[in-house]
Amino acid sequence: MDYDVLVIGSGIGGMESSIKLADMGYHVLLVEKEASVGGRMILLSKVFPTLDCASCISGPKMSSTINHPNITTMAYSQVEGISRNTDGGFHASIRQKSKFVDWAACTGCDACQKACTVAVPDQFNADLAARRAAYIAFPQAVPKKAVLQREGTSPCVGACPAGIKAHGYVSLVRSGKYEEAFQLVLDATPLVGTLGRACYAPCEADCTRAKLEGPVPIRLIKRFAADKHYEASGQSDGRAVEVEEPNGHKIAIVGSGPAGLTAAWQLARKGYQVKILEKRSKPGGYLRHAIPTYRLPHEVVDADIANLTSLGVEIECGVSVADPQALKDDGYDAVILATGTQVATRMDVPGEDAEGSVNGLDFLADVANGAAPDLRGKRVVVVGGGNVAMDAARVSLRLGATEARVAYRRTRAEMPAHHVESKDAEAEGAVFELLVAPTEVVTAGGRVTGLKLQKMRLGEPDASGRRSPEPIPGSEYVLDCDLVISTIGMSPDSAPFAPLADKRGRVAVDPKTLQTSVPFLFAAGDVTAGATDITRAIGSGRRAAHMVDRWITGQPLDGFTALDDRLETISTDTVLSRQTAFGHRHPISGDVSLVHNPRDFSEIEAPLTEDQARSGAGSCLDCGVCSECQECVKACPAFAIRMDARDELRDVTVGAVVVATGHKLFAADLKPEYGFGKFPNVITGMQMDRLLAPTRPFNTVLRPGDGKVPDRIAYISCTGSRDKTVGNPLCSKFCCMYSIKQNQLIMGALPLADVSMHYMDMRASGKRYEEFYTQAKDMGAQYIKGRVSKITEQENGDLLVRYEDIENGGGVVETSYDLVVLAVGIQPNRDVERLFDEAPLGLDEYYYVAEPSAELSPGQTTIPGVFVAGTASGAKDIVDTILHSGAAVAQVAAHLEHQHFTEEVTV
Amino acid sequence: MSQETPEPKAAPQQRRIGVYICHCGGNISDYVDVAAVREALKDEPGVVVSESPVFACSDGTQHDMIDDIRAQNLDGLVVASCSPKLHQVTFRNVAKRADLNQYAYTQVNVREQDSWAHPHDRAGATEKAIGLVRAGVAKTRLSDPLEPLRIETVPRALVVGGGIAGLRAAIGLADVGIQAVVVERESRLGGWVGRFGPTFPDEASGAEEVAGLVEQIKARRDITVYTNAELTGKSGTFGNYAAQLTLHRDGSDKQLTVDVGSIIVATGFDSYAPDEGEFGYGIDGVVTLPEFKELVDAAPAGTLSYRGRPVRSIAYVYCVGSRQEAPGNEYCSKYCCTATIHASMLVSKLDPGIRQYHLHRDIRAYGRNELLYNESRDRGSIYLKFPDDTPPSVQKEASGGLSVTVTDLLTESRELTLPVDLVVLVTGMVPRENSDLVQVLKLPVGSDGFFNEIHPKLRPVETVVDGVMIAGCCQSPRTVGESVAAGLAAVAQSAALLKKGFAELEPLVARVDPEKCVGSGECLTSCPYDAITSIEWDGRQVATVDPATCKGCGGCVPVCGSDAIDLLGYTDAQMRAAIEEMIATDVPVKEPVG
Repeated sequence: MDYDVLVIGSGIGGMESSIKLADMGYHVLLVEKEASVGGRMILLSKVFPTLDCASCISGPKMSSTINHPNITTMAYSQVEGISRNTDGGFHASIRQKSKFVDWAACTGCDACQKACTVAVPDQFNADLAARRAAYIAFPQAVPKKAVLQREGTSPCVGACPAGIKAHGYVSLVRSGKYEEAFQLVLDATPLVGTLGRACYAPCEADCTRAKLEGPVPIRLIKRFAADKHYEASGQSDGRAVEVEEPNGHKIAIVGSGPAGLTAAWQLARKGYQVKILEKRSKPGGYLRHAIPTYRLPHEVVDADIANLTSLGVEIECGVSVADPQALKDDGYDAVILATGTQVATRMDVPGEDAEGSVNGLDFLADVANGAAPDLRGKRVVVVGGGNVAMDAARVSLRLGATEARVAYRRTRAEMPAHHVESKDAEAEGAVFELLVAPTEVVTAGGRVTGLKLQKMRLGEPDASGRRSPEPIPGSEYVLDCDLVISTIGMSPDSAPFAPLADKRGRVAVDPKTLQTSVPFLFAAGDVTAGATDITRAIGSGRRAAHMVDRWITGQPLDGFTALDDRLETISTDTVLSRQTAFGHRHPISGDVSLVHNPRDFSEIEAPLTEDQARSGAGSCLDCGVCSECQECVKACPAFAIRMDARDELRDVTVGAVVVATGHKLFAADLKPEYGFGKFPNVITGMQMDRLLAPTRPFNTVLRPGDGKVPDRIAYISCTGSRDKTVGNPLCSKFCCMYSIKQNQLIMGALPLADVSMHYMDMRASGKRYEEFYTQAKDMGAQYIKGRVSKITEQENGDLLVRYEDIENGGGVVETSYDLVVLAVGIQPNRDVERLFDEAPLGLDEYYYVAEPSAELSPGQTTIPGVFVAGTASGAKDIVDTILHSGAAVAQVAAHLEHQHFTEEVTV
Repeated sequence: MSQETPEPKAAPQQRRIGVYICHCGGNISDYVDVAAVREALKDEPGVVVSESPVFACSDGTQHDMIDDIRAQNLDGLVVASCSPKLHQVTFRNVAKRADLNQYAYTQVNVREQDSWAHPHDRAGATEKAIGLVRAGVAKTRLSDPLEPLRIETVPRALVVGGGIAGLRAAIGLADVGIQAVVVERESRLGGWVGRFGPTFPDEASGAEEVAGLVEQIKARRDITVYTNAELTGKSGTFGNYAAQLTLHRDGSDKQLTVDVGSIIVATGFDSYAPDEGEFGYGIDGVVTLPEFKELVDAAPAGTLSYRGRPVRSIAYVYCVGSRQEAPGNEYCSKYCCTATIHASMLVSKLDPGIRQYHLHRDIRAYGRNELLYNESRDRGSIYLKFPDDTPPSVQKEASGGLSVTVTDLLTESRELTLPVDLVVLVTGMVPRENSDLVQVLKLPVGSDGFFNEIHPKLRPVETVVDGVMIAGCCQSPRTVGESVAAGLAAVAQSAALLKKGFAELEPLVARVDPEKCVGSGECLTSCPYDAITSIEWDGRQVATVDPATCKGCGGCVPVCGSDAIDLLGYTDAQMRAAIEEMIATDVPVKEPVG
């Protein structure tokens, strides 16, 4: 037996039960789902009828609980299932939820909370104020330790093939931490400015805001951070990042596209001496040589690359690598091939090699290198429907072409180009010639004069699911033109790795480790996967660097899952279900200026202003809660943040169980006539208790709508209790008394305020309760017998309350109040239904834990050895809970005395 | 520790004392300039740490104190916060956890005795706080290490009262391995509940429930019951009391002493007895709730009659003897609303045709009892609410019948006169006459006459007398289930005290210096606990104090003409130093006390 007793829940009932049992000498395991023990009582202002400060009397109890030598407390944990053992005891499995903070190291200093860039409603302040995603439950928390609330990886991050923490830099920009935002992206890749312009932003497609009025402008926010950084610090500030001491290992990377640059960046920061070998005369691969400058200026690429070179990474241009083994022999410990797809696919039609027929890659590279052809007055036909086709057409227009036609063999719907690219191309004057295939480049005197095309129709779907085009016999026609640019595909140049090439010419690698069959040789980017896009290349480069590092340091290349501590992506439905309503945010998108027949290569997209960037970032819904922005990691003086922590399951055997799972409070918006959730100045009793508590959020009693200190305050008793319309005919017992308590406290805090309470029966039943009620009346509180039928909000935020005034003639009266407090009652905590695996715990018809012998054996449940303490079995105030817990404890001890547990024998 | 050679105690001004002035989350800091107090104390001789936490009692601050004690090698601890009643034990435990002698801790009360008392004089309250804390530091400078007195406990408990709470508690005690001794003043067990038929909420017969408990008790050897018996004396200390029982046997009294570790008082209540004429009491047909309950329980199926007359209509007048104006019973008796509703449902079951009028001020059918209230209305009971200042009146009609006149708020305050066959005065509970027991146990009695617990919220079964607990209606009105729960909670508390086999007592007791004692005997008569006796020492008679019996009240100290008695933890030297500090507060920095 691991423990004599398992106590579930550490509210006042659970603490009392645990301490008493521990005092008797029993070993207690106390499981609490929140990060602190204390339950609801510690959150109260004062308690009736003594007006003791709740913190003052419950704080020591919390401390005694956690420090008791016979109590083991598991906070932030949940009981997943309990089953009976053959010896009469129980087996419980407990999930220790990942806190993402090493509690052994955490000192509760608050630094993470201050650094955190995400704010969410503070459940410990009844949602009146915000708390951070990294948080200590409340000031008097026991233990005083922080947790990081990570509900999952946000969809934007989950969507990014490069693993860039989009949510993180969005929340940083929202907080005005622009440089930190830049550094967060830089942690993944040096290509921050590049991605801010040329990325297709799969993050935005998956953004939860996209389901509302439009996505957060994530890419432009990144560009904003990059622009800010480069403006402020010039180009070569990569030295700002942390770099490990040189480790003596040398790595060669072949190719300087996004995959190669990213891999080099990651390895250089780990202390490797990295050299990039680039065939062309300038680095950047297709970032420089394919993407036109109106989308991605060369200065931006240069600035991004300077991040890398400033770390000491050498880029040698103009060298071709014919054999990686030669590099190995030269002293490099590993080689990463990141040569991309350099070979353009041929159309294989007559006339293809005539003057005036070029492939798109060469065409764009020439333009990039300053060798652009003069196309003034020329007609251009681009063959293909991908992004390169769009770029070629748009570049042609900029070079003066009078006509740029894009000939594509399927329809617009099948076009592989990103829809923004094709749309923009069309806006600039490109004309789409659809369902046509080239059959011949028509020439005259060795020069192109036109392109013969055959009309196509769509047939059966092929392996990719797209319908295959089929030629329509006899439909050929000639399109007159001066230049044919073919962009129908590209593939790797397999020369340097011929023995390792697959049948499509790609280097064969293990898709997880990116290692080839030659151990020192890894590959990254399009050379392994065919033409993709920048984010995939970056992701692949990161992975290759990670694997090379593991390989060199002798760690296994499998058996671990995360490169970047991502969790499972949270579903947008879950995020949207957190709130009942969302404020509309005017969507912010990039200001792209497109002119028909553009004539220059200047950047077409305007940057976001600071206001736009921050308000765009402000529309983020913080889907995963924690944005993974890493600010807490940097801020924690104890180095206690553990982003790689995961839930742990613990199995224990116990002799008896005390269910002290407490209650929920009635959700006041289920009484729509009272306007809770709609009228900001209608609050719940729990919220008022927070406004009055010593750790109150606003340091005074004010109404949430406008911060005004209220003069006229109304209470509405029995909100959600004694009310068959919400399915709860039961009386909640404590609401009358907490209302009376608050009435007195308000009259103390705001001596001029008028306090009235609309009640049905004043249930001041208990020792000194009636006297306490009399005292409130003597202090001036008004008690009005009769129900409230409706609350209407007035323009100034005041509330018109319509009610029956039984004691004064019984008429229906309307009175205006500044603030209305709904005395919400108790609801069962239905989590108990999931506690027991086999024989479920018996509940009464209102879903409270049933007590078959409430008079003679209070606390006994339907399962022998399982006891209930406190409000899990129905409405109780604190003293009732203490007595009920005592009753449960006496019977737990009796059970343990009489049950002679034997060790389970395994056959 | 005591075997080791004690380290020489540092001179007072060389002590290393940590001082913590608590904000109490505004309770103190709203009225006292806590930072000023902290600054005033930080240069006091012997003070090496001066801090002002928001909540000194929070776990985080407790850890900080422990760290300070260890890192700064503190030999004294002063917390200026609330009443020692609240947190003395808390901070002593902090000291213990840091291996500092727990009696090197002094609590200074700057909340109840300062910030709460002077909410409108911040400067004055701050000055007073500085004086109080300096006094605490002065006392701590002269503190000696003390160890708690450890006493063996007896695994047996005495239950006073054989009603449902006491009987269930006795079984509960035996169930956890503590022998139980029950004394019942009357000749039969069961108290009020033993006379009842069906009770709420289980609908079980009270008489049958009691009979069941008595059967169980008879079958057990670890429970002894004495009826016609009373607790007439108590000596010894908590954990090991000698309880004197007087058994009334055949006209003569027998004395018996039992050793018990704890005592559970469950002496129950009396029903309010209306005065003649109060709501017509005394008129034929006007009965109290217990009388009515007996009538209903005894009624044959299908009919209800009173003194041979069939009852066709009943008026219940609520809150008789409860919720009265001072000096009456101001309290609510809690159980009577639901008990009446429950009885009226039994009536409905006897004969659904009987008309029933409930004349009330509020129906306090709290919690699940609301369901009974709903059901009784569904069965035709009529509820009328009368104003607090206009109670109903009961008349005997010329025709011989009864009528009740009531102002009904629910029908626009109309005055209604209801002819009825029976009027039930819903009488509440009153405290039982127990003055002898109060004397014997030194039980604290509240202004309402019921016994008082040590803390009504968190320690509801303990009293200020160690090891003496209260349960059931002797503490305040309540229902059967609530009384039983309290009885079992007292069992849990007894077990928490006794199952370890030993208990620790405060060493803050009087000590006689035999060198100085002249054997005058003055102190012997001044001790209310009979803790001082005269012994022979060095050839002469001197006084000596039994530390286990001494309560540390200090009553003997001033009567000693030869200054031979000191109170450990509150020595004359300590108190004098504290007072001197307190009356010299206007000097910001003090010269070392030497």
